[in-house]
Amino acid sequence: MQPQRLALAALALLAAGGVVSSCSRQRGDQLRLGAGIALTGNAGLLGQDARTGLDLAQGHYADRAPGLELQLEDTGSDEAGATVAFRRLINAKPVAILGPSLSQQGFAVMPMADRAGIPVIGVSTTAEGIPQIGPFVARVASPVTVVAPLSLAKAVQLHPGIQRVAVFFAQDDAFCTSETQIFQRAIRAKGLELVAVQRTSVSDTDFHIPITNVLRSRPQLVVISALVSDGGNLVRQLRELGYSGPIVAGNGLNTPNIYPVCQRHCDGLMITQAYNPKLDNASNRTLLAGFRRGRAADAVPPQVTAQAFTAYQVVHEALATLKGSLPQGTTLTSLPLPELRQRLLKTLLAGTYQTPLGQLRFTPEGDVLQRDFSVARVQMNPDGRSGRFVQLP
Amino acid sequence: MQDLTQLLLNGLSTGAVYALFALGYTLVFSVLGVINFAHGAVFTLGAYFTYFLIGGAAGANGLLAGLQLPFALPFWLALPLAGLGAAAVALLIERTAFAPLRQRNADPLLALITSLGAGVVLVNLIQLLVGAESYAIPTGALAGLPAAVRIGGAQVRSVQLLLLLVAAVLLTLLTLWIDGTRSGKGLRAVSEDPTTARLLGIPSDRMIQIAFGLSGFLAGIAGGLVGLSVSIAGPYFGIGYGLKGLGVLVLGGLGSVPGAVLGGLIIGLAEACVPADLSGYRDVVAYGFLFVVLLVRPQGLLGRVLPSKV
Amino acid sequence: MDALLIDASLLQQMLIGALLGISVYLPLRCGQLSLATPGFYAIGGTLAALLSTRVDALGGAEPVYPLSSVLLEMLLAAALAGGLAVGIGRVVLRLRGVYLAIATIALVEILRVTTLNQESLGGAVGIFGIPQPFLDPQGYALFTLIALALVCWLCDRLERQRLGRAMEAIRDDELAAACQGIDTDRTKLVAFVLSAVVAAITGVISAHFLNSWNARLGNFDASITTLAFVVFGGSRTWAGPVIGGLTLTALPELLRPIGDLRLIVFGLVILVGPLLLPQGLITPERLRLIRGLLHRGAKP
Repeated sequence: MQPQRLALAALALLAAGGVVSSCSRQRGDQLRLGAGIALTGNAGLLGQDARTGLDLAQGHYADRAPGLELQLEDTGSDEAGATVAFRRLINAKPVAILGPSLSQQGFAVMPMADRAGIPVIGVSTTAEGIPQIGPFVARVASPVTVVAPLSLAKAVQLHPGIQRVAVFFAQDDAFCTSETQIFQRAIRAKGLELVAVQRTSVSDTDFHIPITNVLRSRPQLVVISALVSDGGNLVRQLRELGYSGPIVAGNGLNTPNIYPVCQRHCDGLMITQAYNPKLDNASNRTLLAGFRRGRAADAVPPQVTAQAFTAYQVVHEALATLKGSLPQGTTLTSLPLPELRQRLLKTLLAGTYQTPLGQLRFTPEGDVLQRDFSVARVQMNPDGRSGRFVQLP
Repeated sequence: MQDLTQLLLNGLSTGAVYALFALGYTLVFSVLGVINFAHGAVFTLGAYFTYFLIGGAAGANGLLAGLQLPFALPFWLALPLAGLGAAAVALLIERTAFAPLRQRNADPLLALITSLGAGVVLVNLIQLLVGAESYAIPTGALAGLPAAVRIGGAQVRSVQLLLLLVAAVLLTLLTLWIDGTRSGKGLRAVSEDPTTARLLGIPSDRMIQIAFGLSGFLAGIAGGLVGLSVSIAGPYFGIGYGLKGLGVLVLGGLGSVPGAVLGGLIIGLAEACVPADLSGYRDVVAYGFLFVVLLVRPQGLLGRVLPSKV
Repeated sequence: MDALLIDASLLQQMLIGALLGISVYLPLRCGQLSLATPGFYAIGGTLAALLSTRVDALGGAEPVYPLSSVLLEMLLAAALAGGLAVGIGRVVLRLRGVYLAIATIALVEILRVTTLNQESLGGAVGIFGIPQPFLDPQGYALFTLIALALVCWLCDRLERQRLGRAMEAIRDDELAAACQGIDTDRTKLVAFVLSAVVAAITGVISAHFLNSWNARLGNFDASITTLAFVVFGGSRTWAGPVIGGLTLTALPELLRPIGDLRLIVFGLVILVGPLLLPQGLITPERLRLIRGLLHRGAKP
């Protein structure tokens, strides 16, 4: 036997295995909800916070019909990992998929779910163009076009003398590059002078050289689009190297996970909030109560935890509504899966939801319409290790 | 003048880290002729050891969530201890990934893979135990020192100066040890000709262990200092430095101690010279430099010419 | 249980792994440790991503991207990578051992950072929405399987020919090979160019399969992982890297059920593998043995 035939035989065997495995089981009484988030890699923190939100939502909705079985897959922090995880999820025949964590991954894998006709709801994918990927793509995270200019406007309002603005952005992340475009447009629109634009990388932590370069242009305001560990270090080193003006940060730094990175130097950072923990409605009370179990009594969930909870809630409520609209005697599971997904999408986009993020609706394209935003200022405690986001009036 | 001082200090402090890193590679390379790809993980571990020894607590996402040592050491004591811990890990790597290959007279190329495997295990073990989150050594660890000082008009963080100082001291000690002590000379003998060294009664296994221990110690110290300077950005944070260290290693010359230092400083300075609007190309400068040096002088700036069969 | 079976998309990734394994294997067959494979892989992928998303004539707007366009991309990628490899190879193949490895790592990094900074090449964000020639992973897997079978067949031919034996001779002893009248420089260059062509073609397939492409796909990690394919599988015959690429790509995915432990186990496998099998999983002797057994089994 020729070696190539040997190898071919082995490969054919593998291919056969592939066919067998694509026949997957589905339990009769329960629907499956897929979630693909980044639990490992450099966005692992973001995903782990999202997992907290999903777990809380799952616990809360466990005894409420319709029953949802959550299948969680780790997408890693890159597109390849997300692709593998999403193919797995798609094969598991879910009614909808939540995720992925990063816009960069969203652009890669949301088209897959869209082509498969599965509603895919972005949890923290805020870049421009996400809902436009396809009809089945929606998100609960407000787009950066809405979010980013708010904090900039607040900074200018609080510091009226500002003229010279410097911008840092992580050039190797789709979200950060998209966000910085919005920031830079807003800066120019306000008639401010952009004195420096410095590219960094999400894998960098040592910013001495870029910072001293930028500080030479004497900025009065610094605007940062980066992720947690690079951005946190950037803030800390900016302060230690003597910059004392205001800093506006993008959504990548919008998490308490920055506290251990920039420590007391996080103080004063201004970030727009899509989640206001003080919001008083039933689902936010549920989220807060669940989150505080086993944590401090005044612990505040990160924004992405609230967003993940919201995504689960929105799907669950839409399914409940859909179930209510079915004729007597038909159950959700009796619908053919493609039709169920179609109708879920339609119901989901038509609804109005009272979520931890406040009242939410959707555009026909699938983008979220959120009413309430606020700009928060990070306030660090004297120990330099803990702090909170204080909503600015 | 002010700009020049700033540039020089930035470049030197970045370069000092690269140099410490490359020194670790070079010590192992000089006795074994292979590159230890687990070196980056040892560096990372040094940073975590430092963090825990000064009383840091584990975050919420690993198996050790919330764990904290019952004592908190001052930074100046924690750092050398972390170095020793890292050295112990390096010795363990030598036992598991290198020694078995040597005993079997296997292709040295395989050590690239086994050490890579050891690195993968370590990095993911860290993630399993303490999670992927960032850990920062508290800014207060250098109690009494200001965050930054002005030197000749340039603004420099105290941490950067400390890095430079520690690197200089370690390097001097290492050079003195190699030139002035029996075991140091033994190390050199083994690196120049293992067979003859064995005939002369220098135990090469022991020398290899010394090289690994030292390289681990240096990596641990560098990790602790970098952790203090820029925080520990998760289990993968040594990888970027590992790659740069590799470049530095070749630039200076494989197996050459002064070469590793010179290479580190050159790449550090070269990176500092990249203007802001071309900052995206900073890594290209370093690698471009490396590439040209390789072609013009394959043995590196201060390296010896290796025999043609590697 | 069903997690232990292999689905078509994983199979596809395994086949890609096998192709990349062959690309690393070719120079290694003549003893040249070149880690340039991810660079040429990135060149192929970027070229395919650019052509299929920006050149309308190729049929990117059609619901199913024409296969002929994929083949054309493969041809162009092979030509581009081959041409570059001739130029680069002439320069870098003067280096030996670890120096060659590090020079090629430096080249890959230079290429990566340059792509990151060039918006026209997709920049840091990458190129999204690459048209799909197949609507399901089975189609990709079949296509890649054919490509792999073809490459394997060519390698098998090569290994039986003068050139293949010359490569082996250089690996065993370059000086002796030169004395026997083997044009060592040319042989090494041919291996390097073939390696580049295989990597670039793989990049083309991969870009369509992944449906998005960015410069980070060809990084240092990829260099080392692909090298692990060859060392684990064995570098004496083409079947080694194929088996190594298939198993090591599948391993982290098959280990998914054990969750957080999976990458630790993966690390242990590549740590212990070379200790237990220093020659790699597949050696010519073992291959002959297996072949003999199969022959006997096939006879009544």
